[in-house]
Amino acid sequence: MKYYILKRILIIIPTFIGITFITYLMIRLAPGDFTSLRAGVEGELKAGSLSKEIFEQEKKLYGLDKPVIVGYAEWFYKTVKLDFGTSRKDGRKVIAHIADALPITLSLNIFSIIIVYIISIPLGIYSSIKKDTLQDRIISLILFLLYSLPSFWVALLLLKYLSGGDYLNLFPLGGLFSDWFDQLDIFQKAADLLWHLILPVTTLTYGGFAFLSRYTRATMLDVINQQYILTARAKGLSEQKVLFVHAFRNSLIPLLTLMATMLPGLLGGSVIVESIFSIPGMGMLAFESILSRDIPIIMAITSISAFLTLIGIFLADIMYAIADPRIRLEATQ
Amino acid sequence: MKGYWSIVWKRFTQNRLAVVGLCIVIFLFIIALCAPLIANNKPYILIYNDTVYFPIFFEYKEFSGTDFKKIEGYKIFPPIPYSYSEYDLTAIVLPPSAKHVLGTDEQGRDLAARMIYGTRVSIFVGFVAVFIYVTIGIIIGSMAGYYGGWVDIIISRIIEIVMCFPTFFLILTILALWGQSLLNVMIVIGITGWTGIARIVRGEFFKLREQDFVLASKALGARDYWIIFKHILPNAMAPVMVSATFGIASTILIESSLSFLGFGVQPPTPSWGDILSQSRDFIDFAWWLTLIPGLAIFITITSYNLVGEGLQDALDPKQYR
Repeated sequence: MKYYILKRILIIIPTFIGITFITYLMIRLAPGDFTSLRAGVEGELKAGSLSKEIFEQEKKLYGLDKPVIVGYAEWFYKTVKLDFGTSRKDGRKVIAHIADALPITLSLNIFSIIIVYIISIPLGIYSSIKKDTLQDRIISLILFLLYSLPSFWVALLLLKYLSGGDYLNLFPLGGLFSDWFDQLDIFQKAADLLWHLILPVTTLTYGGFAFLSRYTRATMLDVINQQYILTARAKGLSEQKVLFVHAFRNSLIPLLTLMATMLPGLLGGSVIVESIFSIPGMGMLAFESILSRDIPIIMAITSISAFLTLIGIFLADIMYAIADPRIRLEATQ
Repeated sequence: MKGYWSIVWKRFTQNRLAVVGLCIVIFLFIIALCAPLIANNKPYILIYNDTVYFPIFFEYKEFSGTDFKKIEGYKIFPPIPYSYSEYDLTAIVLPPSAKHVLGTDEQGRDLAARMIYGTRVSIFVGFVAVFIYVTIGIIIGSMAGYYGGWVDIIISRIIEIVMCFPTFFLILTILALWGQSLLNVMIVIGITGWTGIARIVRGEFFKLREQDFVLASKALGARDYWIIFKHILPNAMAPVMVSATFGIASTILIESSLSFLGFGVQPPTPSWGDILSQSRDFIDFAWWLTLIPGLAIFITITSYNLVGEGLQDALDPKQYR
C-alpha cells in the first residue's frame, strides 16, 4: 500500500510539469510577446511610446530574455517555493490575490458538489429501482433537459426574474455579502451568506444532477445483476437491505472516483458563474487576469488548479484502493 | 455492412425523442445553409424599368450601395427582409412585431436575421472543432491501442496531462494571447478536446487487436496502417460516433460561453452567445433579447444530445439504460 501511494505521488510530478510547461509554452510562443500585447491593452503604455528600457526591464522580469527552457526552469524553481511573483496590474503579490480568491471558489464548489451528490444519488437509486417505468422516464427526461441548459443563460434568467425587482425581489443581484454585513451577528452573517449563495450554487449544480444520477443508476443496475445480489436475495434478506447494504455500497466506489474527474471542469464553470454573480473568487480572478494579460496570475492559477485536480485524482485513487480489496491487492503486488 | 446500419437505423427510429432531435438538427442545417435566402435585405426578384433582376443571386453594378427597399418596382423579399449587420438607429430595442418578428437589438438590427446567421456560427464551430479532435483522437488512440508497450505508456501519460488541464481557462488564455477569431476557437477546442476519443479508440483497439481477423491480415502481410485503418478502425467507430455527437453539443456550449464572455467571434458576425451577452444591458425590459438566443442554444444542445443518446442505444442495445 505504501509503495502504491508513493507511486501515485511520483506520477503527480511529471503531470504537473507537463501542464505548466505547455501553458508556459503557449504564453511564450504567442505572436508578439505579451509585454507588447499588454502595452496595447493599457492606454498609458502604448506600444510606440513605451521606452526601450521599460520594455527590456519587463522582458527581464518575466525571463523573456532567456531561452524557453531556462525561463520555465526559473519559473518552476520559484513556484516550488510558492513565489508566484507580483501581479502586473496592481503590484500586489500573486499569492495574496490567490489567498483571497481560492477559499471562496473552493467552498463554493465543495458546497455545490455536496449538493449534487445529496440530490443525485437518491434520484439515481430511485430510478434504478423503478427502471423503465414512467417515473424513471420522467426523471431522466427532466434531468436531461437540465443538463442541456446553458448555465450562463440560467444565471441571467434567475437574476432577471428572482432578484433585482421587476418581477420578484427574493435574492441579491450578486456579491457574497450585504453592505451591512459587519453589523450582523454570527447567525445573521451565515444567513446573509447563504442568501447570497443560493442563486450561484443553483447555477453550478443543476447541470451535474443528470450526469451523476444516471451514473448512479447505471452502476446500481450493474451491481444488481451480479450473483452476490442474487445470493443475498436467496438468503431471504429484505429488499431494502439488499439494495442499501449489498448493492449501493458496491456502486459507491465508482461514484467516489467521479468526484475527482469533476474537478478540472469546476474552474471553467466558476469563470462564468462568478463573473455573472460578481463573486470575487478564482473564476473572476482568472477572467480579470486574462483580460489584462496578467501573466504571473495566469500561470499561478493554472498551476494551482492543475495541482488541486491532481490531488483530487490522487485521493480518489487512494480511496478506491482502500474501498476495493481487489485494487489494494493489485497495488501491493 | 449495409445490413448492420439498417438495423441501427431501425432501432434509432424507434426512439421518438431521438428522431425529434434529428429533425431539429436537420432543420438547423437547412437554416444555416439557406441563411442568405431566409434573411436578406435584397429581394429575390426585382422588376425595375422592365428588366428582371435577381439581386440575391447576382451582383449588379447599377444597384451597388443602394437600398433595395427604396427602389420603386415589383419586388419579392425573403421572409425576413433584413441582413444581420443592417442597423437602424431609429428602431432600437423594439419588441417583436409584424415588422421585426423577433424584435431588434441595441443597434436596431433585426434579431431574427442575427439568430439565423448565428446558426451558421454554432454549426460550423461544432462540426469543425469536433472533426479536428476526432481526427487527432483516432490517430493517437489507435497508435496507443495498436502498438501498446512504450508507445501506449507515453500516449497514456500525455492523455492524462491533457485531461487534467483546466481546459476552459486554457482556451481563454490562448484566445487572449493568440488573438480572438472563430478559427482560433475551433483550433483550441480541437487540440484540447481529443482525449475522450483517444481513450475510447485505445480501448476498442485493445479489444480488437487480438482478434483472428487481425492475425489473419498480418499473416497475409498487410502493413500496419492498412490493418489499423481498414480492418480495426471501422469496428471501433460506433462509440466514436456517439462521443462525437455529444461532443458537438458541448462544443456549441463552449463556443456560446466564450462568445458570452466576449472571447468568441468578432462583430458584426452574429453568434448566439454574443447576442445573449449584449442583452445583459437591457435585461430589465428587453425579454426577447435574453429569451430567444438562450432558447436557441438550449434547443440546439438538447437536440444533439438526444441524437447522441439515440445513437448510443441503437449502436449498443446491450447496455443498461
